Amino acid sequence: MDQGPSSEDLMARIAEGDEDAFEILVGRHQTSILNLIYRFIGDRTQAKDFSQEVFLKVWQAARSYEPKARFTTWIYQITVNLCLNELKSARRKKWFQFLRFGEDQENTIEDVIVDPSPSPEDLLLSRERSKRISEALQGLPANQRMALVLKRYDDLSYNEIAGILGCSVSAVESLLVRAKRTLQKKLASLKK
Amino acid sequence: MKCRSVQKKFSAYQDRELKPQEQEEISRHLIGCHSCRKQYKKLEQVWQSLGELEEIPSGPWFYGQIVRKIMEPRKQGLLPVLQHVFQLFRGPVVASIILIIGLLAGTHLGNILVRSDFFPLQANRTSYSQEALLDSLKVFDPAPPGTLAHGYLQMANYREKESR
Repeated sequence: MDQGPSSEDLMARIAEGDEDAFEILVGRHQTSILNLIYRFIGDRTQAKDFSQEVFLKVWQAARSYEPKARFTTWIYQITVNLCLNELKSARRKKWFQFLRFGEDQENTIEDVIVDPSPSPEDLLLSRERSKRISEALQGLPANQRMALVLKRYDDLSYNEIAGILGCSVSAVESLLVRAKRTLQKKLASLKK
Repeated sequence: MKCRSVQKKFSAYQDRELKPQEQEEISRHLIGCHSCRKQYKKLEQVWQSLGELEEIPSGPWFYGQIVRKIMEPRKQGLLPVLQHVFQLFRGPVVASIILIIGLLAGTHLGNILVRSDFFPLQANRTSYSQEALLDSLKVFDPAPPGTLAHGYLQMANYREKESR
């Protein structure tokens, strides 16, 4: 179990400008937020950027933060909103992409060096399976995908998911039924 | 419980979101019903396979990169908004600029050509009208053009030039 201060307590310290508290908070939630975004958008580099953006928002909103709900619910709400907004803006950008004369790709040295998990040959098969699963997930509508990711990988209750997505519990149930049905069809050929 | 109503609740059963009594009823049904058990097994397999999706590590520089973003001076004023708009509409803006430059250049070039009498017919339009006016005044000549006398004078003029 986590023995340190609660995330809510850390937020109170961050509101006073405590950078150490912020570092602890980031360390505690970075992997879950990064992977939540990665599973939702399916792109490592973007997932990294967006997850940093989430923590930037946490830092900026620390003063106005009120611990009404659990901290994880609050940070997931920020993450979900960011993901859905990015999805919308990505769609808008797509319209103008054909008129663009070249995209600016800014890769920092860290991105180049820390490209995680080099691909050894013995992992090729599992990589391929992982890719197929990711593609199947990406094929789901945004709300279904987010509900499924929150349930499957973060094991949140329907009630918590409803709070994060801003819908009713029965709507969450319906989203999950449809998502599972679609995945069942798409991943039927994926044998063990 | 009927198979149809059991299968409808598979998703919630799997997520342990049913009331304990319902949860138990379905468990009992699954023990006794081969067809439903088969169906549920398929759902479970898909759920398990989702666990194979790789988890990515955040890397040692993650926190440092956030701090760097926090430290970045925030852009203020109208300029960043305009920059963002330009980024978004870069293609159409450049296309419009090229079109405007083309139109201006075309108009300018057209004016130059007209002024430099590149098209003599259009450039001398006023002198032709003046010429027509002068021609019409020739009606009052002793031998207006087109008359027999005019023809005679022209012929006489020609002979005079030839003899010279």
